[in-house]
Amino acid sequence: MFNQINKSIDSAIGSGAQYADARILISKSRNISSKDGELEDFNNSENMGLGIRALVGSSWGFYATYDLSDKSLIEAGKKAYLIAKASSKVPGNDFPLADVPIVQDKYVTPHEQNPFKVSSTDQIDLLVSSTHEMKKLGSSIASGRLNFWDTEKWFGSSQGHEIYQNIIESGGGISSLSIGDGETQIRSYPQSFGEYRTGGWEVIQSFKFLDHVERLTEESKRLLTSPQCPEGTRDLILEGSQLALQIHESVGHAIELDRILGWEAAYAGTSHLQLNKLNEHKYGSTLMNIVADATLPGALATFKYDDEGTPAQRVDIVKEGIWTGVLTGRDSAAIAGVSPGGMVRADGYGRLPMVRMTNVGLLPGESSLEEIIASTDDGVYMETNRSWSIDDLRLNFQFGCEVGWLVKNGKITDMVKNPTYTGITPNFWGSMDMLAGKDEWVFWGTPNCGKGQPSQIGHTGHPASPARFKDVRIGVRG
Amino acid sequence: MKIWENFIEDTEKIIPSDVQCEIKMINSIDSLTRFANSHIHQNVEEEMTDLYLTFHSDGKTTNLNFNITSLGSIDEVVKKALSEIANNPKDSSWPGLASKENSYDGFKKLSPENPDLRAQKVKDFIDQGGSFNGAGYCSSNVSNVFVWNTNGLSSSDTATSAFLDGIFRSETSSGSSHLGHKTLENIDGKKIGQEAYSIAKESQNPQDIDPGVYEVILGPDAVSTILVFLAVYGFNAKSKVDGTSPIEIDTEQFDKKITLIDDPHKEGALNFKIDASGSPKAQTEIITNGVPKSYFHTRRTSTELNEKNTFHEMFGWGDSFGGLGTNLYLQPGDISKEEMISNVKKGIYINEFWYCRVLDPITQVVTGLNRNGSYLIENGKITKPVGRLRFTQSFMSSLGQGNVLGVGSENRFADSEFGEGILNVPMLHLKEFNFTGGVSG
Repeated sequence: MFNQINKSIDSAIGSGAQYADARILISKSRNISSKDGELEDFNNSENMGLGIRALVGSSWGFYATYDLSDKSLIEAGKKAYLIAKASSKVPGNDFPLADVPIVQDKYVTPHEQNPFKVSSTDQIDLLVSSTHEMKKLGSSIASGRLNFWDTEKWFGSSQGHEIYQNIIESGGGISSLSIGDGETQIRSYPQSFGEYRTGGWEVIQSFKFLDHVERLTEESKRLLTSPQCPEGTRDLILEGSQLALQIHESVGHAIELDRILGWEAAYAGTSHLQLNKLNEHKYGSTLMNIVADATLPGALATFKYDDEGTPAQRVDIVKEGIWTGVLTGRDSAAIAGVSPGGMVRADGYGRLPMVRMTNVGLLPGESSLEEIIASTDDGVYMETNRSWSIDDLRLNFQFGCEVGWLVKNGKITDMVKNPTYTGITPNFWGSMDMLAGKDEWVFWGTPNCGKGQPSQIGHTGHPASPARFKDVRIGVRG
Repeated sequence: MKIWENFIEDTEKIIPSDVQCEIKMINSIDSLTRFANSHIHQNVEEEMTDLYLTFHSDGKTTNLNFNITSLGSIDEVVKKALSEIANNPKDSSWPGLASKENSYDGFKKLSPENPDLRAQKVKDFIDQGGSFNGAGYCSSNVSNVFVWNTNGLSSSDTATSAFLDGIFRSETSSGSSHLGHKTLENIDGKKIGQEAYSIAKESQNPQDIDPGVYEVILGPDAVSTILVFLAVYGFNAKSKVDGTSPIEIDTEQFDKKITLIDDPHKEGALNFKIDASGSPKAQTEIITNGVPKSYFHTRRTSTELNEKNTFHEMFGWGDSFGGLGTNLYLQPGDISKEEMISNVKKGIYINEFWYCRVLDPITQVVTGLNRNGSYLIENGKITKPVGRLRFTQSFMSSLGQGNVLGVGSENRFADSEFGEGILNVPMLHLKEFNFTGGVSG
């Protein structure tokens, strides 16, 4: 494969590119969905191709093709150069690429059972039996899904990188939807849209779906007759998976250097963060310690090298509430004068690599959910995301959860439906006053992060444990 | 297309006679030139040829998806499919294959646009922005689809599209514009640039206003967001099958001023004239004078609901998604933008919505924000730009009876959270829209 990659790279460099890199990918995926005890979708997918990136002046040119013949690979290199060169009609300032080690290496995701070698019957049976049970227990719509990815990547560059990686990812989830008079209520497990990690079939086995079908069904039905979440300002306790999405939206995207530099301004937006405030800006309370760590075993965004050949690493993002780090690529790091963090990835061979969150997580505190609830006089505990929305500076957000529980005088009392909360990023994080510890710290994974044009889907990780936030506006309704 | 013809010729020979098989191929060249900080920084092109194979045998179904490179031998693929299918449970809602009579020949051999022309369109846009910071993209696409099945159906179609979408930013404001057409040469970069610049200039130094219920005028991109949410979560017949759709056919659910059709044959329509079953699409009434007339059906949903198929199966999407119209036109009214503004006593002009998410599909309560140009209108005049507002509003109610005060006289293709080129819409004047938060939360 590296011979083929180098034909394309040589062609781009020979045409006049100052730098080029290329990836050949073989990507396999399997998607299974079940509804009400029946198989809804079973799809195996496989594709293979090359994407080459050429740097000319201030612009990247990128060309992707499924045709891996010598003629096509050489043509792809030329096209990447010509596409980049066309950008010179509207040029910017030339930029260097930050230095990274030039390595030749191999990496395979540690896993016990490759999900593509496990019987599809076992996988289908797990979903069908889970959704059958929920339907039998009274769920209006019982659904479940499993997704597996097995991606082989060969990466080479005009600087001499030759890296092979085989990344294996597995995940899924089940949910019970109850339909009432003009409303729906849903409960999901392990989190909304499922939980995803690097690893094999053992990831799915660890979820034990069948142990949760009764609770999910009972809660989704009970929500229909539960009172609305009260409106007002109260203490808010977030369950780990909801806090993971809160981190994703209000920290993860805000710290992407391409956004801060304005490269995503027209679509995904920019950021409220300004580089000249790095190491000064107060992001949250002193309990807030965020790291981006692509080396965490089993987390969804764990690999050995990113799609620019930069080694995976752990980078401090927020230390005791102070903003200290950004997510970078070789180009953006060079422009901003910071170290490249190995945070550039692409969605398949056909997309241009871009800055992507790795495992951006909140380090655990020293409390526990039990202690947090016991020390709350008047609050709401919210579990499992249902809706999410945030502005393009990553400041003004509103989240909805599947279920809320009133907390009175240190005890959980009533279930409430349609719980929502809203806030402004630094005020919200500044109000975090209790944080659960390592025993409740979970490597939550988000497999559906959209960014870029053409659109790319990224897989990101967000380790988190439950936490409490003081005086949050809750119960926003239309 | 030779690659397709060869593939089908090889496949036909090896499919067992008792197996139903459907094969689809999507062949496309997608190109996109992206600019930020007033220069081009990313410029990409991808050529893809993906195959989607469905096999149905002994009451069971399996789906396989390859690109042409990873496919290997078709013999092996068929063997793999038939061995996998044996492990699957029965497919009780298998709707069958489209009939041979539905065959349609729409393939045209077209070349992609060149990157120099896209760069020129970007330059035309950026040149209108003065000292403001420009960002956006210019894209062009040629897509071919092919469908074959063991009933003898053979269909094909070709679609092209080009878009220029951009914003200008000042220190305190931003303004956007968007245009789509079948060909890049018909995109006027200067015109879009002038519109985005004008909005950004007039939006400088926005002021906060109190949240609450306001009259609103919505620009085409905001209108398309409302309609695409109703299309995906309401008119998609899959949501009706699931019991989560708020849409009731032949019931007066919307304002009489709302008429929506799906028409792939309309002059300038950007998307395919066949659906993913290979069947030709026809003009479909979706809402007529405020009354829902049809869902977007697929073979499966029409079978499950025992309703006539409208042929809205999407290429590249699975059965779990359902159907969606991709050539939607909201019928224009007769009110100009200026006249619409002059009719507002106190309200807000919203150019674009951002990051909208459904809180409950049945009520269609959605939360989201405004961006890229919003103004307060008082006594028929724009009085000041306004800052960030969060709304929490039922999209069903927003177009409900009596809430649509006016429909604009000019349509254009608009962007939406589910893609561009799907909706061609005018501006709307709505009586009430619920804003639940401002800049400070």
